[in-house]
Amino acid sequence: MKKKENRYETYLKGERLPHFRTLSGIELKEFYKASDIQPETESPGEFPYTRGIHREMYRKRFWTRRQQAGFGLPEETNKRFQFLLKEGMTGINFDPDNATKLGFDADHPLTEGQVGLQGTSISTLEDMDKLFDSIPLDKVSSTLIINPPSSAVIFPMYLMIAKKRGIPWDKLRGTIMNCAITQLVGPNLQAVTEFYPLEMAMRTACDVIEYSCKNLTHWNSININAYNCREFCITAIQEAAIAFTLAEEYIRRMLKRGLDIDEFAGRMAFFTSCHIDFLEEIAKLRAMRRIWAKLIKEKYHAKDEKSCLFRTAIQTSGLVLTAQEPLNNIVRATIQTLAAVLGGSQSIHTTSYDEAYALPTEESHKLSVRTQQIIGFETGVCATVDPLGGSHVIEWLTSKLEEEIVALMETINLKGGFLECFTNQWIDEQINESRNKMAEDLEKGDLLRVGVNIFDEEMEEAKIHMDIFKHSPDVEEKRKGYLKQYRENRNQKTVQDSLDKLCELMRSDSEANCIPMVMEALEAKATLGEIVDTFRKAYDFEIRM
Amino acid sequence: MNKKPTRVLLGKVGLDGHDNGIKIVAKWLADAGMEVTYLGLHNTAESILSAAIQENVDIIGCSFLGGEHLYFARNLMNLMKEKNIADVKLVIGGVIPPDDVAELEKSGVDAVFTPGTRKSTIIDKILNL
Repeated sequence: MKKKENRYETYLKGERLPHFRTLSGIELKEFYKASDIQPETESPGEFPYTRGIHREMYRKRFWTRRQQAGFGLPEETNKRFQFLLKEGMTGINFDPDNATKLGFDADHPLTEGQVGLQGTSISTLEDMDKLFDSIPLDKVSSTLIINPPSSAVIFPMYLMIAKKRGIPWDKLRGTIMNCAITQLVGPNLQAVTEFYPLEMAMRTACDVIEYSCKNLTHWNSININAYNCREFCITAIQEAAIAFTLAEEYIRRMLKRGLDIDEFAGRMAFFTSCHIDFLEEIAKLRAMRRIWAKLIKEKYHAKDEKSCLFRTAIQTSGLVLTAQEPLNNIVRATIQTLAAVLGGSQSIHTTSYDEAYALPTEESHKLSVRTQQIIGFETGVCATVDPLGGSHVIEWLTSKLEEEIVALMETINLKGGFLECFTNQWIDEQINESRNKMAEDLEKGDLLRVGVNIFDEEMEEAKIHMDIFKHSPDVEEKRKGYLKQYRENRNQKTVQDSLDKLCELMRSDSEANCIPMVMEALEAKATLGEIVDTFRKAYDFEIRM
Repeated sequence: MNKKPTRVLLGKVGLDGHDNGIKIVAKWLADAGMEVTYLGLHNTAESILSAAIQENVDIIGCSFLGGEHLYFARNLMNLMKEKNIADVKLVIGGVIPPDDVAELEKSGVDAVFTPGTRKSTIIDKILNL
């Protein structure tokens, strides 16, 4: 920040922040007192659940430690799952590669050079079995990080594996991410329309939700992905408003399908970010619980209290992690994780310190689990519920954020709702503005990052002394060979018949649920790529690249 | 001095859709007076090259997040040789491990920028390529 000669002068004068605004731009006062807030009357586990969705929260059970993992072959990822579970991860968080997410098999030309890189390559029912080998699906909850339309293939795969292992579906616990808009990579119109039509993605998302609600009891059928939006550099206010107005799109569609709000709202969940602004992030989670509860009860007339619970998984934001002095990221992620705990999250992924370079190694992955264990078991913050409840500033900020978020939701809804604002690129404009502002704030020092724009002057070329994750060689070749063999060892006519039936069903009725027919195709040994291609065919969609 | 502005072509190659960094860089370069064309997501090495030739650019910049940088950088460089436009500079940005930064530079990539690189560093380096 300062040159050597005036360093001592600065220290003598006293260091201070460049301003007193939160990351969302809310100006904070010198201090807050009781007269700034409403007197506290609410208890945790009571509507509108500001203080937590359960009365006992972490006194009864901790949040789930759920570290994202996925790379290379299914067998490799399975090993990482096993390792993390042994170290104390309490839920699985599975991430497939880009090809799988977009509905391509590893031998599709568009996937060349990318197979197994950002996640695991999955194409067949057999792959899914290998991925979850030796993992008791009735005892470990799993999050499947997958967007539609591929979610309508991966989800049936998971159910079929359970069935094969004799595990009844009502014993399955977990989540399919399943958000058609923001799951892939945030609200990016090109990313979610290049390889399939939006309408097809929304329909398959609803098929998954409907099938899940009718056949499973403890499964979250959609996770509204606010995290991926936040990673586009937007504010906490925008993150929450986008998430809720997007959730309303699914609510409207499910109601139109004839489901009652209480049949599915209790199985909708969220995935939110925990950024580095400690106070604001805690207040954000409290505000989001309050807003969701009121929205579901007052606007959609839910009768079941469970429908009103804002349940959220959290990942600590990777946006604040730096390539410079990567060990600093351990401190950042710890503070972010603590905010997620104080904010009352249901599950947490602590982003690893090496993620500005590559996927986490076993060692850095383990450190993320340890971070959560230390917060949970050593610091005492889990001994009482909502420990910051009643803090003048937290309560004031919770109400202030609620007001701002609700106002932005109204703006979006007045403009025709989230989908309209997304397809007409209004959302994109808002994001661009926020993104440019964040970049500019970092440049002019309104937003500070240690080792990046302060205390960075003596940094020479980055000297990194740490192990970095390396992919195993030949994953792509192995996958291509495997798929060739898989396709050779099946009855081609049965496969084709099942795909034709699926195509016919999707064409003839835009609300017919595709899941049972997808299962039939998977049973006949159709691959994920072939099934998603069939979806495309049913919608007369061709990829133009 | 009436120097012609530097012409830059930016684009994401492959299936990955992470475009935060490249969009910020596109704006920075444009604000610094360069002529910037951003091709968006899902380009191939071929489509990047044909756009580069058509736009007669000085610099091609691609950004990667998930480990596909070595594969696509190699493709791009081979095509640049093939099409005889080796005078165009190739710049790579994104989440790239230190060993790979060295390898990219050794194999002929003109500059590599990792997360957290300051605006002035990027602009200076690009203007002096």
